[in-house]
Amino acid sequence: MSPKEPVKREAFQKVRRSWLLVPASNPERVNTAHLAGADVVVLDLSELVGEADKPQARSTIEASIQQVKNGGAEVFVQVDPELVYADLQASVWPGLAGIIISQVESPQQVEEASQLLYRLEEERGLLPHSLEIIAALETAQGNHQGHQIALASQRVWGLTLGRADLVMDLRPEPSGEIHMMQYLMQRLITLSNAVGAVPLGAWWREPDRGLLATTENTYTTGFRGRSIGFKGSMCINEEQVGPLNQAFTPTDFEVSTAGSLLDAYREGVAQGMAAVRWDERIIDRGTALQAQALIDLGAACSLRDEAKAAALEGRPVPVP
Amino acid sequence: MPPVNRDRKVRRSGLTMPVVTPRFVDNAWRRGCDFINLDLEDSVPQNLKGYARRLIKDAIPNVSKGGAEAFTRINHDLVEADLEAIVWPGLSKVNYPKAEYAWEIEKLDRIITRLERERGIRPGTVEIGANIETAVGVANAYEIASASPRVREFGGATGYDMSRDLGVEMFVGFDQFVYGKGETELATRALNLELHTAPFTANTTGSVSDPDRAYQEAEAARKCGLRVGGGLHPNVVDPQNRGLTPTDEEVAEARSLLEQYRKLASSGQAWTEIEGTVIDRHAADRAEELLEWHRLCQERDLEKAEAVARVEREPG
Repeated sequence: MSPKEPVKREAFQKVRRSWLLVPASNPERVNTAHLAGADVVVLDLSELVGEADKPQARSTIEASIQQVKNGGAEVFVQVDPELVYADLQASVWPGLAGIIISQVESPQQVEEASQLLYRLEEERGLLPHSLEIIAALETAQGNHQGHQIALASQRVWGLTLGRADLVMDLRPEPSGEIHMMQYLMQRLITLSNAVGAVPLGAWWREPDRGLLATTENTYTTGFRGRSIGFKGSMCINEEQVGPLNQAFTPTDFEVSTAGSLLDAYREGVAQGMAAVRWDERIIDRGTALQAQALIDLGAACSLRDEAKAAALEGRPVPVP
Repeated sequence: MPPVNRDRKVRRSGLTMPVVTPRFVDNAWRRGCDFINLDLEDSVPQNLKGYARRLIKDAIPNVSKGGAEAFTRINHDLVEADLEAIVWPGLSKVNYPKAEYAWEIEKLDRIITRLERERGIRPGTVEIGANIETAVGVANAYEIASASPRVREFGGATGYDMSRDLGVEMFVGFDQFVYGKGETELATRALNLELHTAPFTANTTGSVSDPDRAYQEAEAARKCGLRVGGGLHPNVVDPQNRGLTPTDEEVAEARSLLEQYRKLASSGQAWTEIEGTVIDRHAADRAEELLEWHRLCQERDLEKAEAVARVEREPG
C-alpha cells in the first residue's frame, strides 16, 4: 500500500456541508429530497431500509439519482459492506458522485468496493476512478483500523463517525458530552487530515442526538463541529439541512474580518515584515493563509448555493 | 454491538485492601462486595512484602466465603515471587499494576499457566487485570489488551498513578484523561472485552467514602451502559451495587421497547420513532443487553446471599 499524495487542498473546495440521508425505499422522501437545499443527498440502502424492502429500493436508485441531481444536489448512495455487490450493481449510474460505506471495518472492504466501482465505471460509461468513497467508521473495529481504511483507496474522499453513537451504544455522560465522542471525533479529524481526507460530522451533545435535534440545536451542533475541524455533516430531517448549511458556511463577519486581517498583513509584507501587529493579535504567514482559506471557502459556499438555486429554477448552473 | 456474553462476570462493587490488615480481611466477606482485591502493592509497606505474600493463600477462601470473587494485586517489580505465592484455587484474577508492554502480560500468562497446572486449577481460570496507569501503557494499550486471552476486562488510564505519571492534577472540574481513556476504551471495544471505565463526573474532593457521591457515579456509569465498579471504602459498596443494577423502571422500558421492535421487524421496517425514542436494531440490542445484565445481577445477589447465610449457619 503506497501512501497517498500530499493533501489535495482542492478537495476542500467541494462544498458538501449538509448530507441529507433518505431511505431509498421511501419514494416520498426521495421525491422531495432535492427541495431541502442539501449539498448532498444520500440515498440509503443500508440501515434505514428494512431487509425486505432492499430489492425494491435498489431498483429505484438509477431514476432517483437523476431526479435528485437535477434538483441541484450531489448524490451519494450509502451501502452495506455485507451487501456491497448488490448495492453497487444497483447504484453505479451516471450522475452518482460516490458511495458511503456504512460500518466499514477493514481496509479490504474498501479495496473490494473500489475494485467493483472500477469495473462498474467501465461497464456503465463513467470516468474511471471518478466515484468517491466516504468511509463511515461506526464501530470500534472500524475506528481502530481507521488509518488503514482511509489509506486503502485513492477514492476515499472523506471519513465520518456516521451513527457510531447508536452502533457503539455511546450515551450521554452527566456533562452532556456523549461518552467517548470527544476522543473519537478528535481522532477522526486528525487521521482524516493526515491522509488528505475530509472529516464529516458534528459535535452532538445531550439532549440533541442527530435524528431528533431541533433546527436551532442542529445549527449549534454544526457550528461546534466546524470549530473542531468538521467540514459538513449528515442529517436525517429535511429541516436540519438549512442549519447545517449555515453552520458550515463562514459568516459575513468572519469573511470581512479575514479580509481586513489580510489587508493588514499584505501591507506589512510590502514593508518588508514577516509578521504584523493587528488589533491585539500577531498575524504571520500561517494566519494569513488560514484567512485566505476562509475567504475562499465563503466564496465556494456562495457559488454552491447559486448553483443549487439555479438547478431548482431550471436556469443554467454557474461553473467556477 | 457484539453478541451478549453469557459468561459475563458481575463486578459492580469491590474493595481493594492491604492483605496485612486483619480487620479489613476478616470482615471482607460481610461487605456485600462482588469482588475483593487483596493488595500486595501500594498499601503494603516494603518491609512487609514477604509476610503479606504468605497471607494470600488463606485470605482467598476467607474473603470469598460471602460470595465475592477473590483478586490479588501484585507488585510490578516482584512478579515471580508474588505469583508463586498467590495463584491458588479460588483466585479469579491477578491485577498487574502499571502494565506497559505486551511481553509483561505474556510473561505473567506463562507463569500463571504453569502454576495452574501444578496446583490443580482448571487451565485459563485466572484472569489478568492489566492496569494501565502510565503513558507507556496508554501508548501500548491495544497490544497489552490482546497479549493474552486471560485479559478479559480492560480500560482505565485514569487515577492517581496516571495523574502522577503525566504530571496532571487529580481533582479538577474537567476531564483530564480524555485521550488515554479513549485509547484504552477503543482497544477494549475493538477486542470485544468487558469495559472497565467511568464517565467523567467532576471530583474536587477525592473522598473515597462518600456514599452519595459513589451512588451518583455508579448511576451515571449505568446510564452510559457501563457495568464495572470497585472502590476502597465499605461505604461505597452498597451504593455501587445499587447504582450499577438496572432499576425496575429500566427493565420495564427495555421489555416494552423489545416488544415494539419485534412488531416493527415483523412488518419489515428498519426503524421508527415513538415518543422521542428511536427504535431500531441498536436500541433493541441495548434493551436485550440490559435485561441480560439485570438477570446476571439478580443471580449474583442471590449467590452472595446464599453464601452469607451458609457462613452464618456454621457453628462457632
